[in-house]
Amino acid sequence: MAAVTRLFRLPPSPIESSVEGRLFVFAGFAVAVLAIVLYGQDYVVPIAGVLVAAAGHVVSYRERNSRRTFWRQTLLATLVFGALFYVLSDSALALFGGILPQANFAILLVAITSFDLKTRRNCYSSMWISLAILYLAAVYAWDYAFGLLLVGWTFCLAAFWTASHLRRNEAAFRLPARAVAVAAVVALFSGVVWFVVTPQPSGAPVSPLVVSLPNFTSFKGDMESPALPLVQIAGDPTGATSSVDLHYRGRLGDSPVMYVRTGAPAYWRGLVFDTYRDGVWTASIRDYQQLEPYVPPRVLPPAPPDNLGTFVQTFRVLRDMPGVISAAYPVESLYAPVSGLREDAYGTFHTPEQLRAGQTYSVVSYLPNLTAGVLRTDAPLDQLPDHFLTYSDVGALSDRAIALAASVTRDQPTYFDKVMALTTYLQTNYRYTLDLPPVPSGRDPVDWFLFDVKTGYCEQFATAETLLLRSQGIPARLATGYATGDYDPVLNQAVVRERDAHAWVEVWFPRHGWVPVDPTPGVSPLAATQFPSHWAAGGVARLLPHLTVGAPASALGSIGALALLPAALGIAVVVAVLYAWLRRRRWVARRRPQPGEVELLRLYERLQRRLGRRRAPPETPLEYQRSIESALLEEVTRAVNEGAYARRWPEPRRVREMAQRIS
Amino acid sequence: MRPTWRVLGALLLWASLEWYGATSEVSWLFLLASWVFALLVISAGYALWNRRGLILSLTPHGSRPAEGSPASELPDGVLRTGPHPSPLFEGDALELEIGLSNTGAARGPAWVAGDVAGTPLRAATGLIPRGGWRSSRSLEGLRRGPIGASGWTVVTSDPLGFFQSRAHAGDAEVALVLPRFTSLAGRVRAREMESSVPSPRAGAGNELFGVREYHAGDSLRRIHWRSSARRGELVVREYEPPGVQSLAVYMDPSPRTPGVADQLARIAASEAWDCIREGGRVALWAPGLAAGQARDLWESLEWLARYPSDVGDDPPPEGTEAVIVTGTADERLVDALEAARRRGSRVRAWVVGDADLDVDAPVEHVGIEWPL
Repeated sequence: MAAVTRLFRLPPSPIESSVEGRLFVFAGFAVAVLAIVLYGQDYVVPIAGVLVAAAGHVVSYRERNSRRTFWRQTLLATLVFGALFYVLSDSALALFGGILPQANFAILLVAITSFDLKTRRNCYSSMWISLAILYLAAVYAWDYAFGLLLVGWTFCLAAFWTASHLRRNEAAFRLPARAVAVAAVVALFSGVVWFVVTPQPSGAPVSPLVVSLPNFTSFKGDMESPALPLVQIAGDPTGATSSVDLHYRGRLGDSPVMYVRTGAPAYWRGLVFDTYRDGVWTASIRDYQQLEPYVPPRVLPPAPPDNLGTFVQTFRVLRDMPGVISAAYPVESLYAPVSGLREDAYGTFHTPEQLRAGQTYSVVSYLPNLTAGVLRTDAPLDQLPDHFLTYSDVGALSDRAIALAASVTRDQPTYFDKVMALTTYLQTNYRYTLDLPPVPSGRDPVDWFLFDVKTGYCEQFATAETLLLRSQGIPARLATGYATGDYDPVLNQAVVRERDAHAWVEVWFPRHGWVPVDPTPGVSPLAATQFPSHWAAGGVARLLPHLTVGAPASALGSIGALALLPAALGIAVVVAVLYAWLRRRRWVARRRPQPGEVELLRLYERLQRRLGRRRAPPETPLEYQRSIESALLEEVTRAVNEGAYARRWPEPRRVREMAQRIS
Repeated sequence: MRPTWRVLGALLLWASLEWYGATSEVSWLFLLASWVFALLVISAGYALWNRRGLILSLTPHGSRPAEGSPASELPDGVLRTGPHPSPLFEGDALELEIGLSNTGAARGPAWVAGDVAGTPLRAATGLIPRGGWRSSRSLEGLRRGPIGASGWTVVTSDPLGFFQSRAHAGDAEVALVLPRFTSLAGRVRAREMESSVPSPRAGAGNELFGVREYHAGDSLRRIHWRSSARRGELVVREYEPPGVQSLAVYMDPSPRTPGVADQLARIAASEAWDCIREGGRVALWAPGLAAGQARDLWESLEWLARYPSDVGDDPPPEGTEAVIVTGTADERLVDALEAARRRGSRVRAWVVGDADLDVDAPVEHVGIEWPL
């Protein structure tokens, strides 16, 4: 048994005895923890973890050659289990806020094991755990300042590798500062250039990200259909309500409501409504299915036809919100840190309670190929299924409105073209405004919007289109949620604000299911999820306004080619500077003396010795010559000055003549 | 230049970051992966640059005499004429300076490794300044003979240790360990031997010792015109001063063991020392080996330090005194001693071990312990 234990026991790592190595391990950990503090808004455990880890490194370094005692090992093992218990309890009961229990567990793990950095390779494991902590912070990092922390951690990693390498070879931690600084700067910039000019691979997500464990809150009674704050005036403090009333609209500010980490910009779909009565949308079907917090693909509908792939989104809720999972649809799988989920009849997922600020959930969505060409091939069904009757109900839509819809779609050859005709008709003939007067009493809001004010906000547009489509026998329903928000394709993230709350239309296509369509002016009428750009360069191009304005720019920008320009310029500058530096070095190193140069300088030295006083270091050749009376010195000095400053060295023959005059 | 296992680790890290980035939409991971990749590429360039312009040097820069070492007992005047920086005798410690000279800007890291006198040595540094880098090592308990440096390599890498370059340095001799010696003149038996043998004094002040180059101040009467004509430069005759002793040491050409060879060298060195400090000259010879002739202690010691290595076919030298130092009963030594005796030289013999030497001369048997 002992032999087997010895076989699998790792030999001691020399880095454990390196002060510099430990310093950089600790610094890397501190950088990762700082990232958690700044971007996770988590303070107590991270700060305590850093302090404990610092003490742990001191203790374990001092006792690195001592034998480990049984009781200390037992205590450390107990503390590790205690940390595990903490993460479980914090996840389930939110004892400490429950915001980032995994990150806190990793921090505690590093802090505890820092007391035991002797035989096991804990310096390396601490470094990799700090990378995991940094990764969790990166999920929440919403600005470019995070790059500085990333630079700091990368520096610590490189320095740790260096310390490890030098220690392994028993060399002191001293390096050529200039060469290393040049290499570090070149690596830093070339890494950024590499990041910008190379496409980012897109892999099928293995699963939604799990950044916190499920809690124990469960559903109480039937499921509500809490609508989003855009339609809420009173009621539940989270904004939950079960209807969308076109007579009212709350004021929406600029405050962020959630951060979305996503590779593809999409509409974050929430509740869906199918029944419209007197200006109010409601959901008529109350059925649901109970699901676990992790919803695997097998319990959800299969991938849509012509599916292009999947992509993951991670939502971080910034303030209390209704318990609705907003995400790009259709969903392949999802995870939310709750005890269970319910999926309603419209494919929307609900949580038992409202989403708390700081909570994170993650969704993997399909990327359906919903282009005009594909949808145009979709033919309508001759006979709609019975359960689709709700989606054909026009309610109290006036004959005038129905006639309008018929006239707009009359000449359209295909099902898709009819949908698009109505959508673009609304986008072009109606004006978007949030400053809408109240709907006069007794008036139907849709008629009032279509024929009187001809202005409105998203609900007016979406409601009008839904009913107009239904009047033409095209099943449609109202979808609510959030628009993409401020999407940054470089960082693959969107900041969703209150004002991004949105409503649009879902139209039934027999082969493709519910397809999002947006009649609101100023947006793409086909509101499908956009294919993700894998070029950070595309995002960089968008940071420069002139690169995205104009047809050529947009055409090139779509493939990221134009975005290569800044990077190419940067590379050109670096290459030019490098070339100039190398040329200068070569010139300095390889400049051959001119004919006569060496001979003249030797003669000058010889003459000084002969004259009995050598030229002092601060003395110029001319000053020296004036201090001594010598015709030959005058001549030689003139030649030296011409050679040194004008690069006109005398002929060797002339130098020999002068030399003969000395002797 | 070759990659190390660390490259595999960095590539694994890079691939992990790319994979997590591709499946999690966290762009920061791509940026981090780019930096890891850039570190790899830049490290390769750094390693290529770092391997240029470094030259290994192994320089003895001192010695620490061991107890009983001649170095601590020789007069300063003699030591000043010895090898630079100080003579190195058996058992002494050699202070060896391992250096890397640098022809360009400050470089590093680099490390060197190899054997000196069969002892593996290693030195490493992260920084090689513009003026070069040096590190000292001490080699204790050295044995007589040349100290060879073999298998030395200069390994350079990038600071992160991703790529290494290895340059092999040629084998070289870094120092010569001289045999220990002491004065044997005080040994009772030697004195007795000396007194028992008739001693025709060699030289009377006009016995020709040889010729040498003419130096300013030499008497014109001493110019050896025939030799001068032959050599094309003035040479003068050199005469031995009156009573100068010349010692011919006949050495065993093939000692049985290194230990015996060391002991023979010590005895011969001691004989040479006794002769030279009295103003005499010494000729060292062994059958089949190149002979050594010197009036200088250090030349004799050098010959003995390398004994028995150089091959030659010189005849046995003559001297006012001839002594055999051997561990075997070699007939050629006996013949040479007999010839010397017939010429009137005083003769005697040292035998290390039990070999039965059939000579008509006093023979002293000794072991391999030192001092005798």
